[in-house]
Amino acid sequence: MAYLGLHRRLRLQILVSVFLVALSVVTERQKSFAADNATEVTEIRKAADPAAVKTIHAISVDDALSQENQLLGVVHPAEPAVPDLAFIRRISLDLVGRIPSKEEVDEFLAWPEHERRERMIEKRMNDDRFVDRWTTFYADLLRLRSNSEGGSATIAYVHRSLSNNVPYDELCRNLISKNGKAGAVPEVGFILGDGADPMAMAGVTAQVFLGVRVACAQCHDHPFDVWKRKDFYELAAFYGKTRRVESQFTKTIYTTEANESLVLWPPEGVGKMEDRKPITPRFPFELLAEDHPSVVRLNTRRKALAEEKAALLAQQEAASKPDDGLDDLLANADKKVERSTRANDREESLEEARSEVRKIGASGGRNLESAWRMQLAEQITSPRNRYFSRCFVNRVWCELIGRGFVNPLDDFNQTNPPSHPQTLDFLADEFVASGYDLRSLVSSIVSSEVYQRGHSTVVDEKFRGELEKSFLALPARRMNSESLYDSIVTAGHLFEVKHAAGKNMKTVWSELQVTKQPSGGQGLAAMSLTGSNGQAMDGKMAASNDAAAEQSPVYNLEGAIELDFAKILEEVQEGNDEVVVEQMSAMSTEQIEAERMLMKSQENSYAYIERFTRQQLDDNPLFASSFRMASPADPEHFLRVFGQPERVQLGETRDHAPSMRQALMLLNGRLSHEAARVGELEPTHALLIGPQQNLGQAVELAYLEILTRRPSTSEALEGVEMVNASGNPQEGMGDLRWILLNCNEFRFVP
Amino acid sequence: MKPCLGYQMSRRSMLGASGATLFGLQLSELIARAGEAQQTKAEHVIFFWNGGGMSHLDTWDPKPGSPSQGELNPIETSVPGIQISEIFPQLAKQMHHCALVRSIAGTQGDHGLGTYNVQTSYLQTPNIVHPGFGSVVVHEKPKMGDLPSFVSISGRAPRASYLGQACEAYFVGAPGERDPYLAFPEGITQVRGNDRLDALARFNDRYGSRNPGESNVATKTAIDDAVKLMRSPALSAFELDKVPTTMLNRYGDNTFGRGVLLAKQLVETGVRFVQVNRGGFDTHTANFPAMRAHGAVMDPALASLIEDLAESGLLKKTLIVMLSEFGRTPDVNEDAGRDHWSDVFSCFVAGGGITGGKVIGSSDENGYAPKDNPVKVADLHATFCQSLGIDSMKEVMTPLQRPMKLVDNGKPIADLFA
Repeated sequence: MAYLGLHRRLRLQILVSVFLVALSVVTERQKSFAADNATEVTEIRKAADPAAVKTIHAISVDDALSQENQLLGVVHPAEPAVPDLAFIRRISLDLVGRIPSKEEVDEFLAWPEHERRERMIEKRMNDDRFVDRWTTFYADLLRLRSNSEGGSATIAYVHRSLSNNVPYDELCRNLISKNGKAGAVPEVGFILGDGADPMAMAGVTAQVFLGVRVACAQCHDHPFDVWKRKDFYELAAFYGKTRRVESQFTKTIYTTEANESLVLWPPEGVGKMEDRKPITPRFPFELLAEDHPSVVRLNTRRKALAEEKAALLAQQEAASKPDDGLDDLLANADKKVERSTRANDREESLEEARSEVRKIGASGGRNLESAWRMQLAEQITSPRNRYFSRCFVNRVWCELIGRGFVNPLDDFNQTNPPSHPQTLDFLADEFVASGYDLRSLVSSIVSSEVYQRGHSTVVDEKFRGELEKSFLALPARRMNSESLYDSIVTAGHLFEVKHAAGKNMKTVWSELQVTKQPSGGQGLAAMSLTGSNGQAMDGKMAASNDAAAEQSPVYNLEGAIELDFAKILEEVQEGNDEVVVEQMSAMSTEQIEAERMLMKSQENSYAYIERFTRQQLDDNPLFASSFRMASPADPEHFLRVFGQPERVQLGETRDHAPSMRQALMLLNGRLSHEAARVGELEPTHALLIGPQQNLGQAVELAYLEILTRRPSTSEALEGVEMVNASGNPQEGMGDLRWILLNCNEFRFVP
Repeated sequence: MKPCLGYQMSRRSMLGASGATLFGLQLSELIARAGEAQQTKAEHVIFFWNGGGMSHLDTWDPKPGSPSQGELNPIETSVPGIQISEIFPQLAKQMHHCALVRSIAGTQGDHGLGTYNVQTSYLQTPNIVHPGFGSVVVHEKPKMGDLPSFVSISGRAPRASYLGQACEAYFVGAPGERDPYLAFPEGITQVRGNDRLDALARFNDRYGSRNPGESNVATKTAIDDAVKLMRSPALSAFELDKVPTTMLNRYGDNTFGRGVLLAKQLVETGVRFVQVNRGGFDTHTANFPAMRAHGAVMDPALASLIEDLAESGLLKKTLIVMLSEFGRTPDVNEDAGRDHWSDVFSCFVAGGGITGGKVIGSSDENGYAPKDNPVKVADLHATFCQSLGIDSMKEVMTPLQRPMKLVDNGKPIADLFA
């Protein structure tokens, strides 16, 4: 579903601000030069005027921020907006997770200067890859793992929710409150990620959704905040009746509600055993009163925006008569037939599964929703709960700006106040008013002047830090691992075939350990005798088309196998008991078969032969987007080496620190090597070899494709010299591209 | 494996150029190591991880005359009174260097939970990841020479988690196979590769001068470290092609034998912690032929390793440990297999200042439960730390500023050092 577009007011605002930016660039730049050249750096702020009004009234983020900076006495000018090419690189990385292609740059530059940034923002917001890139943001935030129980379905579900523009509060309510079978009810993967353990979920709920670290109150009162141990237990109690159940017969895993809560007070070891009683859930966070001015303002604004949105929707619907294709209807009919056929085939196991479900029903109820957790979800996502909106807005702000108002992002506490509380609240209130709409939030941030500001080049580290703290300049930040991966693939033309057929023929020897079947024949199942502590993958992967997977299984650390999110969710049906039963029966047969296979392989786990196989293959490199991979990737995989988190630990953030492993991977790895190599089907090839040879243009193209900028005169000369030096322009260009892909400039968001 | 001419050239030239280093170890370091010889503290660990749950009854804790014994007979060892399974005839002759802990009281009968517990000393809990023992060791012991401090062979080691990226294991797939990331990509000659590195340094310096900040320095350090490792003569420790055939045959020319040889070379070159992984111990069916097959592979490799390290004197400074997530049921099931059993199982230890020829604790008559001197998993870790001179109760901070001990409150087994 396409995004509805920026609403009119916002659009006007951007037009104005872009115009103002253009006007102010010259003077700002002069100021900035002056600041650079001065040996004594000027001060950033003066003592605030005590007579100044303390409450700001803003109409935009920029307005809020500049008013609040004024309140804080900030007098230093802001860095000017970055040039157009830096802007398109930045916005592409942030919104769709990869650098722009040459064609996209050309299109962008062909648009009229005063509207090109706004148009590019809109284009990127509507790109399908926006959903892929921000699914990764959510997966980090929610600690979703493809290999946890029901985890891949949860990731696919978040992807679909983003694609359908499901409001953030609604998404969270579902994740917090749903019960059901792992995979079939995709939301439950969230609580199953922590084994649906009430104590763990209390810590997760507070920290992930509200940015408050209460986990230490599990064992003792919080050392420097207001949280008491009892608060923690009362919060955990919302999850107290929820159970993770593993079915004896089907081996399926699901969550359900029991009658008794497991969360008892006083805690174990405090007081007598017989005194411990189930504790009543209580939400320990303060909610604003219904008539609090901010809530009143919010409700009004919410209503107005909702009406505006509804009107726009009606307008759009009237404009385009929905074309419910006959194909869709037919496809659905097909599916129904298929489903009933499958049920017939498995009548017997279906009957068994049914009786099992009845048994579950008798022993506590297969409740799809938990009443207590529903209550919790309502309070967490309430517009009166400012923790919820502040926490999320702070994260999104940091993701785009490089620094939060509160840092660490999940540590809102009395001793760690926000740098700009009113700006944070402005954004948070706008976010709530928009109906918790991620796209509105992202769009308002990236359309702002502050987002478009440059980095400070002041050498004094401390002074630069102060500028960044006031958001006068943006901190330099590295691309995240997925964006780095996809950017290398983009720059190296590796999403498409770039070499002519037969140009990369290779003889590949591979060593396979083939299990011996008792009957004497050789089995198909290849196995390895290495350690067993890898985690099982919760499968449903599309087949790999990457030849490298066969070539060197041990060192295939740079491949990307795309997950088919739609397929993962295909079987998902909600609510209907019969459907759940049917799915259980379908799963059971698969599981029985899987178990049988497993037993077989175990019988033969010591009987195998090592076999060398030889293969001729056209190793024409082709890479897929890393945003669609099962995540987190294997520990030694490119993505992990460049900081993709494990998503287990609470409070874990992306580690952007450079390491030797990273350097080795980029210097010598297959991805950067293949990206650097020039293919005959690439545009640059004609500029390097043949009658249209033009090395200057080829060098300029390389800079544009890889660094999204034109080379300086000296860089262009140096580039041409480099291409010429090797005697083979194709190889020389390969060297130049390798350097550009490896250099520091490539890895930083401009 | 294809020989890489350029790679060998660079190694030779490096050797010529840097007379003051041997295998990447500074001479001063070597002298320091020699001086420490009087101390009993271990400097290195070779950690054998037998994934799947190795039967303690068919290896270190045989039960002659009991119904639990099964098909494998015990044999005498070089230490009177200590018997081990017949699958280890050569290792039996090295028993005076080795010790056994036969009374580990485990609590986790699930592969994942057991593995986590035995490798980290902690019980698995949501929200937090505890670092593995290898990461603890390299967190506490400074790096020696050019090679990574922590190497895991033929499988994964647990994560370093809150101890940081620098304490992660360096991963070697098949022993002897050269890590492709340590050499220029295929088709890039040494000359061309070096030219590219030079040009890259120039580009990065230029960028750094335009964009001040620590992050540029950090990237430069990372690249410098990488190039240093690529060019280090110590890298030959990862290769096995110069190992004489007789030696290779003695250890066993198979993945495990090569892995053990590689572990030995790495430790000799200064690597702190080598984890050698091996699977296939989950013997729910046909336990005995499986264990015979494992013995045939493990026995010569382990015995040769201990013999060679004892002879070179490095055994005193190298703690050798073999562990598995749990043991297996004393009862043989209807498929002639044994199932998971965590109530009691065994650990094999050698070197690192422990007293050889010892058995700590025992299991009951049929191998169901610890009989005397029960040892907790965390006690084992505390013992290893003592051998290495590491304070196992030292606290480090997690990202949530929660102090965590290096080991989950274990107590060292004093008898092992007596």
